[in-house]
Amino acid sequence: MEFEQIYKTYWDRIFRLCMGFVNDYDIAQDLAQETFIIVWQKLDTFRNESAIGTWIFRIASNNCLRQIEKDKRFPKSDLPIHLSEEKQTSIEPQIQFLYKCIAELPETERIIISLELEDIKQAEIATIVGLSEANVRVKIHRIKEKLTQKFKENGQ
Amino acid sequence: MDNNNIDFKDLWKKQTISQPNIEDLMTRLKQFKKTALRSLWVANFLLAITSVFIIFIWYYFQPQFISTKIGIVLAILSMAFYLTFYNRLMNNYKNIDANQTNHEYLQKLIEIKKKQQFMQSTVLSWYFVVLLTGICLYMYEYVSRMTVFYALLTYGITLLWIGFNWFYLRPKQIKKQQEKINQLIGKFEEVNAQLE
Repeated sequence: MEFEQIYKTYWDRIFRLCMGFVNDYDIAQDLAQETFIIVWQKLDTFRNESAIGTWIFRIASNNCLRQIEKDKRFPKSDLPIHLSEEKQTSIEPQIQFLYKCIAELPETERIIISLELEDIKQAEIATIVGLSEANVRVKIHRIKEKLTQKFKENGQ
Repeated sequence: MDNNNIDFKDLWKKQTISQPNIEDLMTRLKQFKKTALRSLWVANFLLAITSVFIIFIWYYFQPQFISTKIGIVLAILSMAFYLTFYNRLMNNYKNIDANQTNHEYLQKLIEIKKKQQFMQSTVLSWYFVVLLTGICLYMYEYVSRMTVFYALLTYGITLLWIGFNWFYLRPKQIKKQQEKINQLIGKFEEVNAQLE
């Protein structure tokens, strides 16, 4: 697959994953870009052992985890990049609330639920995160309960 | 049944997204490469300059004592050793295989951070000891030609400077770095524990 093709196909999904992790538009934008930089650099090492989606999601989620370190060093991105910016203008409060709730979960749960919401098969999630499939299933169930609970409390 | 009509998937996908041009990404890629190269350069450039300087002294002044030569070798070795360690660690860190499960990746991160912790304490201390021994040995030949007063003065000042580094700067630097890195290791371990 050509890089440009991958970029077009996966940007949205990777961005949402990052957004679910940090709930900050700019940082998520940065993280997503970093992910594609890694993808670009490593594309020739990609072997078709796994689906390309699994491969990209692994890179993206690992990059999110690595962000924990930067979090401590730089509060915000200091990279001057001019994007075709149209920030979240008026996204519905419900959407905002969902992302906020997810970003408040423990780190690995953020990744798991984001992948689930992206319609990734649980078996695949298991190979991305490194848990058993059964474990993933249980976790997803619990996370959804937590989210539902939060939505109810908030009267959404 | 468990979602009570809240369609999380639908909400999730409604997030506003703007995809940057691929050109922007490429610009950033170039920038990224440049910074990486520069940081590698700075550290190694310092080593090279210092070594050239010391070798120049060796040739130019033609030291007679074996202690001087040992001193020079020790000083260069200590710096080379430290930088090699540093470079390798940085390389490891930059090149962690991103195509691992989150679980494996976190373990790798923790392992590298622990190595860094070791470097910032143990390796740094050894670096200091070897470097300073080297400097003292190196000085001996020149100092031995001075009167006792100046010899004592020279060593006195040097040792004072060394003492300041060892007892003040070194612990301070170690403490500052260790706090940061311990916090980070703690955090990574906590996240890793979520998967156990």
